[in-house]
Amino acid sequence: MLLIDCPFCGKRPELEFRYAGEAHIARPADPSGLGDEAWGRFLYGRGNPRGMHAERWRHLNGCGRFFNALRDTTDDRFAATYKIGEERPMVAEPQGARKA
Amino acid sequence: MADLLVRPRAALADVLRNGRHGASDGAPGLILCERTELSAATLIARKGQARALAELVKSAYGIDLPSTPRFAGNQLPDGRFLVFLWAGFEQWLALIEGAQEFERELTLGLGKRASIADQSDARAVLRLRGPKAREVLAKGIAIDLHPRAFKTGDVALTLAAHIGVQLWQVDETPTYEIAVARSLAKSLWAWLSASAAEYGYEVVGEIR
Repeated sequence: MLLIDCPFCGKRPELEFRYAGEAHIARPADPSGLGDEAWGRFLYGRGNPRGMHAERWRHLNGCGRFFNALRDTTDDRFAATYKIGEERPMVAEPQGARKA
Repeated sequence: MADLLVRPRAALADVLRNGRHGASDGAPGLILCERTELSAATLIARKGQARALAELVKSAYGIDLPSTPRFAGNQLPDGRFLVFLWAGFEQWLALIEGAQEFERELTLGLGKRASIADQSDARAVLRLRGPKAREVLAKGIAIDLHPRAFKTGDVALTLAAHIGVQLWQVDETPTYEIAVARSLAKSLWAWLSASAAEYGYEVVGEIR
């Protein structure tokens, strides 16, 4: 079973967690000042990288907290987990990584 | 008009039968009881007040409020044993033996620093002890219960047989306690009793 390192609880089985989309997507400060295209990009524009992906997870059946994680989409390995509000840690991109 | 008399009733009163169950040869692998004497309350630190709350708890009860998945308890001057279990970031579950108006007592002392909600009738707490306690739990709990990973004093919020529970290890026997939402207690018991049956288990009124 895949273990995910919750920043609050420690290593826990993946079935306690729920995926919550790409991380570090800030809501625009002034939505009404945006055109349709920019608003659409905020709502729907997501990366789909081959390699390290920063994403939100929630320890739903545990402490209940959201946190961020870096996961390698090629082999499903978690390279790092970190609290919401912390900087994305520097982690080497795997070989063959490709930005989408 | 008929008198309406409401008496407290333990969550597992319908299903727990004192005595030996399951495999009947040898000593029981597990001894268990429901802790019906407990009062419970949840505490959530108000924004930015966690440190002040910890200081209050320390001065009022002599307990270091855990900031990691652990529990800490102390015997109060009146003889009651009070314990605070970590229950998420800046959240705790407080348990005490037999306090009336436990929520009010906590709110009076700590209410400025934390939101406090009574859980006495909302949780069922089981105490499990015995040489097979770890094996019984491991069949439905995915976290590692080996002593190198989960020790006396450790607390986990996790799933047991797909039911959300709070689990903690009380001593090295090992003795565990497991808290579950009262409405799910019988579902948990359906799994726990089946899991314990192969080792033989004994239900008792109290484990000291």
